[in-house]
Amino acid sequence: MAETHILQDLQHQAAIASKVYVQRDYNSGTICKFQTKFPSELESRVDKQQFEETMQTLNNLYAEAEKIGGKSYLEGCLACMTAYTIFLCMETHYEKVLKKIARFIKEQNEKIYAPLGLLLTDPIERGLRVVEITIFEDRSIGFGR
Amino acid sequence: MPGGSNSGGVGAPPSPPHAAASAPSRPLRPSRYVPVSAATAFLVGSTTLFFCFTCPWLSEQFSVAVPIYNGVIFMFVVANFCMATFMDPGIFPRAEEDEDKEDDFRAPLYKTVEIRGIQVRMKWCSTCRFYRPPRCSHCSVCDNCVEDFDHHCPWVNNCIGRRNYRYFFLFLLSLTAHIMGVFGFGLLFILYHTQQLDLVHSAVTMAVMCVAGLFFIPVAGLTGFHIVLVARGRTTNEQVTGKFRGGVNPFTNGCWKNVSHVLCSSQAPRYLGRKKQLHSVTVQPPFLRPHLTDAQLAAKVLDNGIQGDLHRSKSSLEMMESQSCDAEPPPPPKPELRYPGLSRESTLLNKAPPTPTMYKYRPTYSSPGKNHTALTHAYANQISRGDSLKESSSLLQSSQQPGFRSEPSLDGREAPGERGGAGLGGDRPGGAGSVGGAPGLGGGGIPGYSLGGRSYPSFSDPTVLSPGAGGASRSSSVRSGSAHNAAPVSEATTSTSYKSLANQTPPRNGSLSYDSLLTPSESPDFEPAAPDLSAPRAPVLGYSSPYLSAQLSQQRDVELHQPSASSVSLLSSPHRAHYLRASSSPPPPPLPERERLLQDPHHSHGHSGSRPPRFSRPPLLSDSAAPHPYPYRTRSTDAPPGPSTHPPRSPHPPPLGKSLSYSSAAAAEMQYRMVRKASASAGAGGGGGGGDEIQMKSFSRTNGQPKSSTSSSGSTPSSPCHPMNLSARPGQAYTGPGNTQSPAHKPGGGVKKVTGVGGTTYEISV
Repeated sequence: MAETHILQDLQHQAAIASKVYVQRDYNSGTICKFQTKFPSELESRVDKQQFEETMQTLNNLYAEAEKIGGKSYLEGCLACMTAYTIFLCMETHYEKVLKKIARFIKEQNEKIYAPLGLLLTDPIERGLRVVEITIFEDRSIGFGR
Repeated sequence: MPGGSNSGGVGAPPSPPHAAASAPSRPLRPSRYVPVSAATAFLVGSTTLFFCFTCPWLSEQFSVAVPIYNGVIFMFVVANFCMATFMDPGIFPRAEEDEDKEDDFRAPLYKTVEIRGIQVRMKWCSTCRFYRPPRCSHCSVCDNCVEDFDHHCPWVNNCIGRRNYRYFFLFLLSLTAHIMGVFGFGLLFILYHTQQLDLVHSAVTMAVMCVAGLFFIPVAGLTGFHIVLVARGRTTNEQVTGKFRGGVNPFTNGCWKNVSHVLCSSQAPRYLGRKKQLHSVTVQPPFLRPHLTDAQLAAKVLDNGIQGDLHRSKSSLEMMESQSCDAEPPPPPKPELRYPGLSRESTLLNKAPPTPTMYKYRPTYSSPGKNHTALTHAYANQISRGDSLKESSSLLQSSQQPGFRSEPSLDGREAPGERGGAGLGGDRPGGAGSVGGAPGLGGGGIPGYSLGGRSYPSFSDPTVLSPGAGGASRSSSVRSGSAHNAAPVSEATTSTSYKSLANQTPPRNGSLSYDSLLTPSESPDFEPAAPDLSAPRAPVLGYSSPYLSAQLSQQRDVELHQPSASSVSLLSSPHRAHYLRASSSPPPPPLPERERLLQDPHHSHGHSGSRPPRFSRPPLLSDSAAPHPYPYRTRSTDAPPGPSTHPPRSPHPPPLGKSLSYSSAAAAEMQYRMVRKASASAGAGGGGGGGDEIQMKSFSRTNGQPKSSTSSSGSTPSSPCHPMNLSARPGQAYTGPGNTQSPAHKPGGGVKKVTGVGGTTYEISV
């Protein structure tokens, strides 16, 4: 953006311009899955491929968290046998994956979205209902434009 | 023991952990704790007595395994009881303010989402400010929305939801086992002490047995009930409300998987009371912009603001409204608009989300509508409409400099003009020709511009288009756009596109605009319209420049009365989208009329789906309109006024996104039906006149006051199938979905009458 760069000598501030909400995809039931469709508000802000890739990875992580397998079963049995006191010391599988997801989102924000003026919010903060994407705009202070 | 006394730590539950930040503090109600205290007292008390009086003899007589077994079972019961009581059932935190802003005051009460092929309704929770996810329900006792809500259990004084259902189920199972054990061993004791029944031990054992026997029947019954629920994959809420009675349960995965999901899945996370993750990521401008592919740009260019318009901000709409009110020549372009990409982004981004229309119908949850907000669409619309002010001046300027297209501001504004010219002129090559031709057209530059709108997607009414049709039209646009590979004659895009636009050679720009107009015939949607397109017709559909001259409006009037065969054929095409967009002759009511109507602070919202301003204007109307008593959600109440009046209807193209989609789609549908009737009855009256009359009445009622040019045809549908009425009707298709009968009246189809709040009746075609 040549125009913007010309104005770089002005003081830049990022201001929240709007928020985009990516809703859950309930096509496969109540499993935690977010729509990977590219929201049109982001068309000019981020690469579609990149965004879809992020969402797909997120979905995969949630699928891993909710996976019912040997590990979760053993965890349940152990919890039962210890009268659930084990939860005081041990982290559940889901929580472990949630931490992984938080790290992933942070990394994505740092590497990809913040430079584009976007910020992904961890959906767990919204009750796993939406992925909130905050769109920032460049508010240059000073004479310009 | 029972009664208000809180016995023991277990029996004195403070409010469960969910009374955290997002849940409002509730007044302490001691009566809530009575059942749980009683349950706790009975459980602990009876078991303690059993262990003290019965077990010593049993352990001596039989084995020590007896008390151990009973002890283990009892531990299990208590652990599960505590987990069921104190664990957060899966409470959703209240939605943030910003999330709610996207939805407007009059968005529908229900949203449907498809789950494994089955339509499931999501209801708007006015307390929690979001559409409840499937299987979520709001507990009135706890005043929270709970995920996978089962029921509110008074015995544990807690909701049973996703997170603690497993513990509740295991509590029931273990309690049943415990009761059976206590009763059984007590019976054994008694059988061995028939001669010593006067002993204290015997008396206590018998008392414990009585309590156990008394509680066994309801507990076992409940346990059996829940075993069946788990096997079927249903919640108590769903079973009791009969949601899947005779129907298919979309949430079941088969018995085995259902059971394993309840028992073996990993503990679901809590949503409340989490450690707030500090955003350590700093967002600092300047921001990069992604490199847009040509296809993307072309798509942006030609993508009409179908859904984007629906999300247009209030301020941008207001700006347009004020502009449209202007009868004077437009002021010179503001400095901020010299860099349209930048300024538009910021102005549009800054604005609040779309204003409430009278009735914004949100179709299926998964519809693309909501997510297509598109600054691009907003830009397109703003540019096309809001900047129509600048249009004439820019057009004039451009006409003076025929070949010069590199100035972004001019280009941006000119693009529509070029397209307009192209639409008019048809074969004129080059931008110069297009622009130059514009003034040469009747009505001057503006008409030329407006004409271009006919085939320019952004001027059509996307709200009327179904996503399919819209998609088709969009794809056709993309096809035509990409045919020129150029870019972006899109004012809707960012400054990058502007830059690329500016960098292009003029002829390319011009040809782009022309060709994109010429090639609509590529698309199936446009095919029927192709012959019409080539014919230079003066006023165009879809363009609603507020500056439309009187001459133009007169031309439109003329058009109104001259429905051509092609237009009728267009009308009868099943694609409303291209009917509305491509047909040049059956015009919608004269634009100035409509604008006046639109600007009328009336209830009338939505209207025939053919004009772009529709998405911009109706919201303005609705702003000034009084709130309807419709089943759209309000800020304060959650009570549905009645059955949902906005079920997705098959005859409609699923309305897009927010905003006018419902009303305009409904209007379009109505027009469509009218057209079909007209064509079916070959212009003869009667036939579907009844339905039309109803519709016409609904229009006139909605509009509130008879509009001058269309009042005669509107309010008194003497001959509904009269071509004049026919063509006039679309323009009048202001629908007040709440006010009147639903425009979705399908002749001969199933129509369901629904009474809404305030006694209004809707007809919903089923």
